[in-house]
Amino acid sequence: MLVGAFACPHTPQLLARPGTEDRDLVLRVHAAFARVKRRLEACRADAIAIVAGDHVEAFFLDAVPALAVYVGTECAGTFGRYRYRFPIHEPLARSIVEAGIERGFDLFYTQQAPLDYAFYVPLHFTMPEPAVPIVPLHVNVYLPPQPTPRRCYEWGKALGEILRARPERVVLMASGGMSHFPGTDRYSSPEFDYDRRLLDALAAGEGRQLAAVTGEELDKMGNIELRTWATLLGAVGDVKADVYCYEPSWHHGNAVVEWPV
Amino acid sequence: MTEELHYRFPPAAAYRLNRCLFALKSDDGFRARFLKDAAAALREHALSDEDAAAIARGDRDGLLARGAHPYLVFMADLRLRMEREPVAFEFF
Repeated sequence: MLVGAFACPHTPQLLARPGTEDRDLVLRVHAAFARVKRRLEACRADAIAIVAGDHVEAFFLDAVPALAVYVGTECAGTFGRYRYRFPIHEPLARSIVEAGIERGFDLFYTQQAPLDYAFYVPLHFTMPEPAVPIVPLHVNVYLPPQPTPRRCYEWGKALGEILRARPERVVLMASGGMSHFPGTDRYSSPEFDYDRRLLDALAAGEGRQLAAVTGEELDKMGNIELRTWATLLGAVGDVKADVYCYEPSWHHGNAVVEWPV
Repeated sequence: MTEELHYRFPPAAAYRLNRCLFALKSDDGFRARFLKDAAAALREHALSDEDAAAIARGDRDGLLARGAHPYLVFMADLRLRMEREPVAFEFF
């Protein structure tokens, strides 16, 4: 069953805390992460299914999956001095691949791939105690052509049905967003107004709006990663989002959000 | 008219260049070899002289013009800085 749904940023500066960042802002996002952690404990989750866009870490140009599921026994990765490793809830991961393919989604799966920091950063801050296994779900966001927001939403709808039919208590988490433009001339000028308008729509229970935007619009608004949110929104439907925080830093719109399930 | 995207299809001609940036970003061993002797490390990737020079200079605009993926350029640079100036991180 699905017992919770959250979106969290994975901005690496929230973890690495360089001197370029506004300390108070970072700590406010950490406080919102702490709220998510308490909620995960209250949900008594058995597993976290986390949707993130691999940042060309597990999947380079040798093979570029649009949608992928990690079905190994565990997964691990590194980011700077951080070394991380998580057990995978293998029966749940396998059922997602099998039921997803049965429903017409040609999922890629891997039993051994490095885990990107996009998965790690939110889990670093929100993993409940005691810790639970995860199922990493990849959506291609960085290597065009990416799946359309519509396709992500449809996959999320199927994913939500699959999770609701499972015996485990599963929390669905979308990692990423909001507006940021790493590696481009726009790095220091994200589209914060776009983020705020979208958050207003989500708070009003209009999640389906994100299924209707084009990939081109997401690129233009620095929001290619919102494909992970579109996936989550497909699973939760048009319910009203509870926005824990929206913290625009000099390079990144950081939002932490919960949806009722 | 379609505006130019920030993140474009990586041209196949830039595969080796992107492979090298990927290694700088994600391969701790290669990054260490690069920091020790950049020219020798870059030879491992059999790059063109122009590509190797752009990486050695950290010439972001030049790399993008040569087909490098913007995110790979960004994160390769960040990971190199994290190695070179570790005291600049975990600042608070």
